[in-house]
Amino acid sequence: MNRRESALTTARRGSIITVLALAGFAGVYVRALMFTPIERFQGPAQKILYVHAPIALTTLFAFGVTGLLSLLYLILKDRRLDHLAASSAEVGVVLSIAMLITGPIWGKPIWGTWWTWDARLTSTLFLFLLFVGYLVLRDALTDFEMRARFSAVLGVLALALVPFIHMTVYWFRTLHPEPVLLKPGTPSMPGAMLVTLLSSMAVVITLYVGFLMQRYALSVLEDVREEEAALELS
Amino acid sequence: MMPPDVGVVATDVAWRVGYRWILKNISLTVAAGTVTLLVGGNGSGKTSLLRVLAGLARPAKGSVSCQGGVGFVAHHSMLYDSLTGRENLAFITRLDGGHAPARVDALLKQMGLERAADQRMGTYSRGMTQRLAIARALLSDPGVLLLDEPLTGLDEAAAQIVVEVIKQRRQDGHAIIVASHQLVELMECATDIGFLVSGKLAAWEPVNGRDAGAVMQRLRDLVADG
Amino acid sequence: MVAMRVPSCSGFGIWWQMANGFFAVAGAIAIKDLAVEWRTKTALVSSLVFAILVLAILYFARDATAVSAFEVAPGVLWVTFTFAGMLGLNRAFLLERENHALDGLRLTSATPHAIFLGKMIGNAVFVGLVQLVSLPLFILFYNVPIWNRLPVLVLVMAMATLAFVSVGTLLSAMVVRTRFSEVMLPVLLLPFLVPPIVSAVQVTWRILADRPMAEMTGWLSLLGAFDVIFFILSIMLFEAIITE
Repeated sequence: MNRRESALTTARRGSIITVLALAGFAGVYVRALMFTPIERFQGPAQKILYVHAPIALTTLFAFGVTGLLSLLYLILKDRRLDHLAASSAEVGVVLSIAMLITGPIWGKPIWGTWWTWDARLTSTLFLFLLFVGYLVLRDALTDFEMRARFSAVLGVLALALVPFIHMTVYWFRTLHPEPVLLKPGTPSMPGAMLVTLLSSMAVVITLYVGFLMQRYALSVLEDVREEEAALELS
Repeated sequence: MMPPDVGVVATDVAWRVGYRWILKNISLTVAAGTVTLLVGGNGSGKTSLLRVLAGLARPAKGSVSCQGGVGFVAHHSMLYDSLTGRENLAFITRLDGGHAPARVDALLKQMGLERAADQRMGTYSRGMTQRLAIARALLSDPGVLLLDEPLTGLDEAAAQIVVEVIKQRRQDGHAIIVASHQLVELMECATDIGFLVSGKLAAWEPVNGRDAGAVMQRLRDLVADG
Repeated sequence: MVAMRVPSCSGFGIWWQMANGFFAVAGAIAIKDLAVEWRTKTALVSSLVFAILVLAILYFARDATAVSAFEVAPGVLWVTFTFAGMLGLNRAFLLERENHALDGLRLTSATPHAIFLGKMIGNAVFVGLVQLVSLPLFILFYNVPIWNRLPVLVLVMAMATLAFVSVGTLLSAMVVRTRFSEVMLPVLLLPFLVPPIVSAVQVTWRILADRPMAEMTGWLSLLGAFDVIFFILSIMLFEAIITE
């Protein structure tokens, strides 16, 4: 019962972290709408950046985690790595849906259309589909050892694919605003906006961690149940 | 390093699927020049044990060592229906790093498949396919031959060929393990009997002149005990 | 007593033997696959017919007064190659499912890498054949003047095909163990084809438009880098798929 108890503890802690993150989210929301200046060129619609950009980065982070843990699983064969990798992929898929929704919402007032094939949105779309494929593959395999092995292989391949997708899509003409934070030199955002953005980033990462912990705990609990079922049979 | 007269050594082998242990603490030593009959009910783990010994499944615990390579005859032929018997065997020899048409011909002859050698394996009867599978297993002249229910679906003539092959390999100083329900035909060439009950090796005994009936009774007793 | 094999004249001798063995095994597997396919020809004929149909249908799938055949040609070519090619990928490992032949391969001294290479070569030949037949038809239907730039086009086709069969062979080894392998393969494979196919299309339209080579080198480098990285990854990861 050791594993079950530690999984339940993780779940509990995870839900607390999630709640805190959601509260923080509300705080960021308020700050973004009321206490952050309006951007000169894009107007109030720009404020969705405070939600959209952190989610975009966290999605990428989540998928990167999946890829790295997949590689580690292939080397170490520790089942927990598999649970964690799959959980991160699921959370990443959810976050990427959020990003694919906030992107057009941002785009419509600014570019006039809901969907544009701009580099970042398109990249995210492909990554989303890639990791949905990862989850579909897991769903199609019942033997857990084979499932862990195969998804780890796919995870490593996906990790290698991400930079190629970015490069390919980027070399198309892009409508995305100039990278504001991730370009060399000092960020070209005024202080107040930067604070909002960074706090939002912290909140979204915390949200990711909270979700991840809960999802991981769920995987472990399912595993424990399978183990108990097998013990009962023998 | 293994002494030259030992064919197969398994030490504390355990194997599972998911969380279910199919094989538990199996340790055995099969000497060269012997034939071991593996008996057990359905689901006792005979096929799993042979697969682990053959190296097709990796045990969660323990180790296996087979002297001189392994030949495995399973329920499926592991060959291709669209290729002829000869082409199938030639292909396998190429994978083992050789090109040995003479050996292929010799085995086809030994298995009585000369006339069918250039017909597609898909046209073979069950007996012919089984004989081809045995030929495949013998291509590399393995020190250890593992057979999983080799007599299933074979008529008397084909079964006799299989038994002859087993006897010949034994005489040549190789180790053989045969898992089977059909004991009557195999008793004459067997030297030892392994009793597998619920994934454990309940007993390992020399034949001691017993007949098939006595062996089955012994199995029933062991199952009742376990 | 374990016999010691004295190395032949130099270390090179052993490497040569190993390499020979490796390629011999891969070659044997590729030839076997092609021999089996040739005897039924089902997948090959299906892929060819599919390719021709797609070429023809896409010709009509536009407003001919507004969009010339020339404009859609690069995209059409690569969509056709991709989808027709995918029809042939699963046959490589489905073949090994019959009679548990894959176990037979594992019992020999063939290494997973050699098995993968053999399967990949078989797939490459299959896809190459489909391309060989559909390319002239493409030129015919879409009336594209590429004869003078044919070498570059063939180069791009070869590079994109390498990418396609590297990842495709690895993924098909996985999906044939699932129940819906025919659907799962495109779902998993298509995201991986975005970089190579986009690169290929970009190079192809520049070829058709007679642009200078300098404009293509960027995309060709991307394609080349993809080929190297994913070929190496695929051949190395295959071992994890095949061993239990």
